[in-house]
Amino acid sequence: MITAVQKPFADIQAMVQGYANLLVLGCGTCVTVCMAGGEKETAILASTLRLANREKGVKMQVAEDTIERQCDREFFDTVRDKVEAADAVLSLACGVGVQFASEVFPGKRVLPGLDTRFYGATEKQGVWGTRCAGCGTCVLDRFGGVCPVARCSKSLLNGPCGGSQKGMCEVDQKNIECGWQLIYDRMKLLGLLDKLEENQPIKDWRTGRDGGPRKIVREDMVLDA
Amino acid sequence: MAKKQIEKKIVAFCCENSALKAAEALSDPATLDAVELVRLPCTGKAETGLLLACLERGHPGVLVLGCPADNCKFLVGSTRANKRVQSTRRLLKEAGLSEERVRMDFVSSVDGHRLARIVREMRERLNAIEGAKV
Repeated sequence: MITAVQKPFADIQAMVQGYANLLVLGCGTCVTVCMAGGEKETAILASTLRLANREKGVKMQVAEDTIERQCDREFFDTVRDKVEAADAVLSLACGVGVQFASEVFPGKRVLPGLDTRFYGATEKQGVWGTRCAGCGTCVLDRFGGVCPVARCSKSLLNGPCGGSQKGMCEVDQKNIECGWQLIYDRMKLLGLLDKLEENQPIKDWRTGRDGGPRKIVREDMVLDA
Repeated sequence: MAKKQIEKKIVAFCCENSALKAAEALSDPATLDAVELVRLPCTGKAETGLLLACLERGHPGVLVLGCPADNCKFLVGSTRANKRVQSTRRLLKEAGLSEERVRMDFVSSVDGHRLARIVREMRERLNAIEGAKV
């Protein structure tokens, strides 16, 4: 999933200042799972804004709703009226949803309520960790299912650097595991350690962010106008 | 004739296994006149949105009264509730409200006298906050 965390409340307050009608719009997919922008979090943020406004005497109507996804056009139909009635939309989707909401409602101010972080998995309840960097050319077959691009701080493809100590990364020895220790342990478990002796060629980063904004076109799925 | 304003009470979410039993056993029920008791199967059911909604609807404060942490029927319910209450207090502070409006306490079923004291102290704290008279 795409993971995110809510922006600091003071930043959100500053962002929405001056709007008389605000719609807080949650997203029912990734950010619901990572408990940042789903229905519950939308209700909590809207409530907190209303209480803060009441305390400070700020006149602002704060409405709330959550749609299934903010990265698919059709789901916006159910909130079209609410969006049109609002002066601004505070989107609790990831950066994709915020931009797409802006595209669906081009004349409407859409503001981000979250800071989008990474593609991650739920390691345990309340804890999410990065797993994929979206590099566009998956190499997991060569590393036992542990991604050196996402999980090594330096994205090294040919073994660890000198900063790997007791299984932890020098970038943060308390919280970041050395990606290459994970790869070594997994390959050992799989009986594939000899594969790590193969030299990995220089990776073509153009399929990732380095190649500029990306697009996927499935010709067989495209509906002709 | 001016419409009489209904004064809202403190909402007390009570675990039915502990705080609610303590409340029912009180010899002087008037002690709890300032609170509206809400029965929960476990305070682990009390979520942040619910606590904020009570304040939004004009209740001056919210108490969450669960089992002592090592005596929760559902093992971690009151511990979870406490984390949510702390999170709610942080939100209130960020919003410019007194965090004292929401409070968690732990009461066993035989702690009626303690429950009465918790309610009294909550009233005193709220009365000290502007706009939250009880």
